[in-house]
Amino acid sequence: MTVRGVLKTLSPLFACIGLLCVWQIASLRLDTESSPTALEAIKAIPSILGDKGSLLNILDSIRRMAIGLVLAVMFAIPLGLLMGRIKAVAAFFNPLMMIIYPVPKAALMPIIMLWMGVGDVSKILVIFLGVSLPIIYHAFQGSKAVEEKMLWSGAAMGMSAPMRMLRIVLPAALPEILTGCRTGLVLALITMITSEMIARQSGAGNILFNSLDMAQYDTVFAMILIIGAMGIVFDAAFEKLRLSLVRWSQPRDDMPLSFT
Amino acid sequence: MQVVSLRSDAHTDAEPVSGRKSSGVDSAAAMIEIDHVSQRFQTSGKQSHLALSDINLTIEDGAFVSILGPSGCGKSTLLYIVGGFVQPTDGVAKVKGKAITGPGPDRGPVFQEFALFPWKNVLGNVMYGLRQQGVKRAEAEARGRKLLEMVGLKGYENFYPKELSGGMKQRVAIARTLAYDPAVLLMDEPFGALDAHTRTRLQNDLLDIWDRQRKTVLFVTHSVEEAVYLSDKVIVMSRSPGSIKQIVDIDLPRPRKRADLLLDARFQKYIVDIEKMIDDGGKDHL
Amino acid sequence: MTQTRINSVLLGITPIVLFIALWQSLISFGFAPTSLLPPPGAVFGKLAKDFFNGDFLHDIAATLIRLFAGFGIAVVVGVFIGLAAAVSPAINAVVKPLVRVLAPIPKIALYPALLLILGFDHASKITLVTADALFPILLSTYYGASMVEQKLIWSAMAAGTPRWQILFKVVLPAAMPSILTGCRIGLVISCIVVFLAEMITSTDGLGHMLVQAARTFQTVDMFVPLIMISMLGLILNSLLHWLRSYLLRGFPEV
Repeated sequence: MTVRGVLKTLSPLFACIGLLCVWQIASLRLDTESSPTALEAIKAIPSILGDKGSLLNILDSIRRMAIGLVLAVMFAIPLGLLMGRIKAVAAFFNPLMMIIYPVPKAALMPIIMLWMGVGDVSKILVIFLGVSLPIIYHAFQGSKAVEEKMLWSGAAMGMSAPMRMLRIVLPAALPEILTGCRTGLVLALITMITSEMIARQSGAGNILFNSLDMAQYDTVFAMILIIGAMGIVFDAAFEKLRLSLVRWSQPRDDMPLSFT
Repeated sequence: MQVVSLRSDAHTDAEPVSGRKSSGVDSAAAMIEIDHVSQRFQTSGKQSHLALSDINLTIEDGAFVSILGPSGCGKSTLLYIVGGFVQPTDGVAKVKGKAITGPGPDRGPVFQEFALFPWKNVLGNVMYGLRQQGVKRAEAEARGRKLLEMVGLKGYENFYPKELSGGMKQRVAIARTLAYDPAVLLMDEPFGALDAHTRTRLQNDLLDIWDRQRKTVLFVTHSVEEAVYLSDKVIVMSRSPGSIKQIVDIDLPRPRKRADLLLDARFQKYIVDIEKMIDDGGKDHL
Repeated sequence: MTQTRINSVLLGITPIVLFIALWQSLISFGFAPTSLLPPPGAVFGKLAKDFFNGDFLHDIAATLIRLFAGFGIAVVVGVFIGLAAAVSPAINAVVKPLVRVLAPIPKIALYPALLLILGFDHASKITLVTADALFPILLSTYYGASMVEQKLIWSAMAAGTPRWQILFKVVLPAAMPSILTGCRIGLVISCIVVFLAEMITSTDGLGHMLVQAARTFQTVDMFVPLIMISMLGLILNSLLHWLRSYLLRGFPEV
């Protein structure tokens, strides 16, 4: 690899270091108790991850997020594809989606908790609701844009309608679907943190706010770093997966696309 | 990702060479001179591709010159160099004796893709260049309407480009370029995207306009017939590297009538000869 | 309206009607006690009544102020940086890695830090809304501006447009469809985030109203702000849609 190439791959790392430096300098100049320096926050990370209770809490959060995400993908992709190919299905669900879209799903937490308690089911349900919509939307757009003539060729080759859906529409819409999944992934993380912040029972979001209440500011900022890192790592990992799945499609820029 | 290149190479001439053509002073004056121009493009890695190799060419004021050649022979690149959109790797291109450093209103492009501003209506597109030259709104509007009438689009002033057919779009693009009265028209396969019928009509209309204004025209095309029909001179290019193979003077009387020419043995011979030239070039590289 | 149009509207209303019918029947047939699930009539009745209630209007106003301020800043900053990154390789080299790092971070996690730095008032919430709405707008501006057809720029330059004007006379209008798409995404996010921020800590606003009702188990009052934020989202979305069809009247349909 050339020097330029190395610099390019490492540039996000430089950006991280740069941001931490800015933080360090800013907090040193502010010099208040409620704004620890970047180094203090980084030092607090091992004590959080070393503590068995917090670590289990964070892993629990990730587990719930993964379940919610997988369920949403399984539900949203078929629905989106059907909406894109069958006009009546789209006309049926579109207005409902428009109404649900601006409702913050994590805000349903208090109501869902009322019905289902504070356990895993409520939290997974909220993540599922939050993630489904963007995936449905992108699968819908992707399958709507599938070239009609490709389907004609498929029909001419004797493919049945369900077969055409699976063999033509799904792969053709895959780049768009994966864009939706990437959005869904980031949203899942957001919904997870927020619902835990609101429920204040367990999980990463709960640690974050409990430490804020108890004025453990090092922990607050360390948790922010941990959650931020989770976002970046999940996103990068998914991007790797996405690129390997849709190598054939038009190369996109390496900046992440939309998030919702 | 391609970063938008605003510096289409050097700065725009703050003081463009006067757009008026010096008619009658010296009819054989050189309008465009291309002097040892080469263009090398970086392809992937350290490879590079010689798109144009040592081109020398002089185009007289008021001449209609076509550039013809197989795809990849660099004919559009040559046009872009004259437009000032691309800087040659070597050599110099001049317009009216001044070296070209960037685009300017003395050289008006017309592209195959029309490149109309979608956010402006037809009249707005035509007025754009005039407003840019500092012409007052009322006057620009009057001149724009006149130009649209000339290209046969009276009544379409308030339409948006998306509402027009391909042929009409290209008429708007031609009017937009004529509006700022460039001395040279640079036409990059302008009728390539149009159907045969529309193409013929636009060719005739272009000849009409040219007969009246006698601007210098540099016309890139794939079509031998189109080149012979329109031009005083046809420059035949070959590829790898892109170079001038032959320059053919088209000695046919003007004004030209398509119906007469199609039956004219000289016209037919020009076409056959030039097609042979291009074909020979093709064999070398297959 | 054509017959097909009417049919699709009818189809669209069906699930909403069914949803409300299901909701009502859950109560009517005794599956859910009204303390857990208030009847739809009660919720919409309360919503209508609340419109004459000063406190409710104050809550809506507080939410809207934060939403508009945060979204407005995000539009200005996002479009500016997005354009700059598209036209300047130097700015691009700085912005790109920063965006790659900052965009996937769940911004809501920054909220505690914003509270500590900016306090519990408007500023922290507005900043959070801006942080969340910024990236979709920035990115779609960047994409739109990078995709501008080179020949549009050439045409304008040949017509005598100076280089510094190209940005505003060609790149910005040509990127407008993409920018507005980014704004629509950013607007929905703004609606969601402002509400969540108010739920987490606030003394007014629709989100606060929901939390307040949840603490006192006033189930009817829990539904009212949720329906309100959904309505606000719909209204703002259709305003943006209207603006879009005006600004993009010349552009071909996507």
